[in-house]
Amino acid sequence: MRYDSLSIVGLEKNTGKTECLKYVLDRLPVQSKRIAVTSIGIDGETIDQVTRTQKPEIVLREGMYFGTSEMHYRQRRLVSELIDVSDENTSLGRVVTARALTGGKILLSGPSSASSLKRWMDEMHRSGIELVVIDGALSRMSSASPAVSQSMILATGAAYSANMNTLVSKTAHIVELVNLDLTSDENIKKLMPLDKGVWFIDKQGCLNGLDAVTSLSRDIHFEGMEDCENLYVAGALVDGFLEKVRKNKSLKQAELVVRDFTKVFVTPQQFRLFLKGGGRLHVLQRSKLLAVTVNPTSPSGYVLDSDTLCGRLSEAIGLPVYDLLKNNQQ
Amino acid sequence: MVQLKNVIESPCGLRFMLDELELQSGFARRWLLDSPMMTRAEEIDACYSVLRRFVEFVDQVDNTYINTLCHKLCGLKDIRTTIKNLKQGAVLDDIELFEVKHLAILAADVARLLGQHGMDGVVEIPVLDEVITILDPDGMKIATFYIYDSYCDQLRDLRVQMRQHPEQQDELLLQASELEEDVRKDLSRQLHPFATAIEQAQLALARIDVNLAKAMQMRQLGLAFPVVSQDGTSRYAAMFHPQVKAALAAQGKEFQPVDMEFGQQPTLITGANMGGKTVVLKTLTLCQWLFQFGFGIPAATAQIAVRDEIYFCIGDEQSVEKGLSSFAAEMKNIDAVIKASRENKKLLALIDEPARTTNPTEGSALVTALLRVLAGKDMSLVMTTHYDIEPGQARCLRVRGLENGTMDYRLVEVQDGEVPHEALNIAQSLGIDSEWINTARALLESSSQ
Repeated sequence: MRYDSLSIVGLEKNTGKTECLKYVLDRLPVQSKRIAVTSIGIDGETIDQVTRTQKPEIVLREGMYFGTSEMHYRQRRLVSELIDVSDENTSLGRVVTARALTGGKILLSGPSSASSLKRWMDEMHRSGIELVVIDGALSRMSSASPAVSQSMILATGAAYSANMNTLVSKTAHIVELVNLDLTSDENIKKLMPLDKGVWFIDKQGCLNGLDAVTSLSRDIHFEGMEDCENLYVAGALVDGFLEKVRKNKSLKQAELVVRDFTKVFVTPQQFRLFLKGGGRLHVLQRSKLLAVTVNPTSPSGYVLDSDTLCGRLSEAIGLPVYDLLKNNQQ
Repeated sequence: MVQLKNVIESPCGLRFMLDELELQSGFARRWLLDSPMMTRAEEIDACYSVLRRFVEFVDQVDNTYINTLCHKLCGLKDIRTTIKNLKQGAVLDDIELFEVKHLAILAADVARLLGQHGMDGVVEIPVLDEVITILDPDGMKIATFYIYDSYCDQLRDLRVQMRQHPEQQDELLLQASELEEDVRKDLSRQLHPFATAIEQAQLALARIDVNLAKAMQMRQLGLAFPVVSQDGTSRYAAMFHPQVKAALAAQGKEFQPVDMEFGQQPTLITGANMGGKTVVLKTLTLCQWLFQFGFGIPAATAQIAVRDEIYFCIGDEQSVEKGLSSFAAEMKNIDAVIKASRENKKLLALIDEPARTTNPTEGSALVTALLRVLAGKDMSLVMTTHYDIEPGQARCLRVRGLENGTMDYRLVEVQDGEVPHEALNIAQSLGIDSEWINTARALLESSSQ
């Protein structure tokens, strides 16, 4: 594994995120690598609010480091050594860092925001941890942001959509966003420090600010931007903005840049139209998508054919797709 | 009892001093905010003699060493709840035992670091070696914790079985948890006699953090050690207001320091508008509080008399929030000073332009009467005013004022309280509408004829 951090994200509940985490943890080389596991704390999500089922415990192996809340630490079912208690409070108490001295089960509930998660990970890396695995929040991509973790695995499945065509196209859209190309090194250097506003770089390479504060503003005007090379949106990129860019003749040749895929909130339809019109969308940071896993069973009992699903999805995204449950059974 | 947190938002600028203080731990900040104002000379002397040692220490040792110490102090956590539980004889859980061990090792580390530079005993840190031994049965000397195998042979056996038979883990954990609880009970019982020492170690580390931060602040802002005045008179040379000075420096301007002396005799400061009278009062208030909370003083030298209570009355904006008119709020504030002056306490009252918001006739009467009422009480009074009043027994100081177009902020002693008539000139220098100013000038001339 070439990356120092891995985030596992589920597109919906019951898409098999926990299975996927389990699969990964079971196969990591604990003997030769120092590994830490945490979760982006979904505060209080010990019980699934929808299905009223208990949040699954994670099985850790001897020697793994982990971060969880005080409350869940007290409920641990393994022997572990306390290493740190943070000052940061979550609704389940402070975040506790420990090392498993035996294998066993633990409920994970780590730092509650992306920035505090990042602080925790930095602290781990400083103390010699080589890989941090993050149990990402459901339908919240923040923990998979390249600003937080270098690589990711995406879990999808019938719970996300029971219609195979929809499931494949919706998942392919996310994968396409995750895999957006990086813009030029020069642009990255120029744009990285800008964390808000809308900006453009002209043919001379000069950076200009637009009056609009965000891409959500209604009164955005692209005047005097005939020589715009790159248009950068530091915050969220939404449909309305993308449509305006697409319909603006003077921006035909311009490359659109966003911070990373977690900032893109456009529908597949708008994005398609944008690309068809010759539009280009690039990012400043990207995380490496390692694999996609599927759970063909939806909680309502509907089951898609696993092989067909894996095959079609793999074809659509050009990446290996795994049905972990099926693989395990075989 | 006044605590720092009660006066921190005073308009004199204490908040700025706290914000500029580079404390390492949140616990030290809480401890500092909770600390009571000192009202005894010996207490203040003792406090400054500790701070003096820290200033020498900061001057002598190199920065990497200070950084190591600061980094250590970052690890100071607020474990008061744990200590309280320990005192009450409760059984501590793993996290609490970890906290105790972490603190004990931290205290030993800080004591060792300070000891290397002859700082041992400047702030007494209780020796917690026995606590460390209890919580570190294998002598690993690292601040991690669990119920170690060495505490109980049976526990060790169970854990060996757990590793060999993961399928029996739940059953074995259940058996182990009972043994672990026995160990926790035993550890808590052993630690119980050290609860007070642990508490003192935590406070000692907070004091070290605070003193180190105060020492670095003294160097950074150019603050001085004060001397406790024995004769009830406070004397400042080249006094300045750090926040105003920093704001001026940001504009490329310089703060003109002021010399000032006042005792039991009431002091009246008059002077032109924009002459810095209010800044003088703010600085005096700030210095007095810094002194009684043991900070460095923003002056070249300072001799300060200890006071039981400090009153700073400034027509402040907060009164609007309380639903009082500015006049009513001011009257109530000054009323509190008069009431307190009748109790047997040493007061310092600093009053900025009393009765400024009412008509000059009644205003002057109120100010003259206030001077008479407060004169002869066991207090120091410094008051600014624009009214022409009979100074009575008061000593009068005047801001030198506008000279050749520039403001001289220094204070000079004058024989009477006659106020300068420079308002129109100053307004003119500000570029205020000439029709307005000239009409006012004409009115003044016609009334004096």
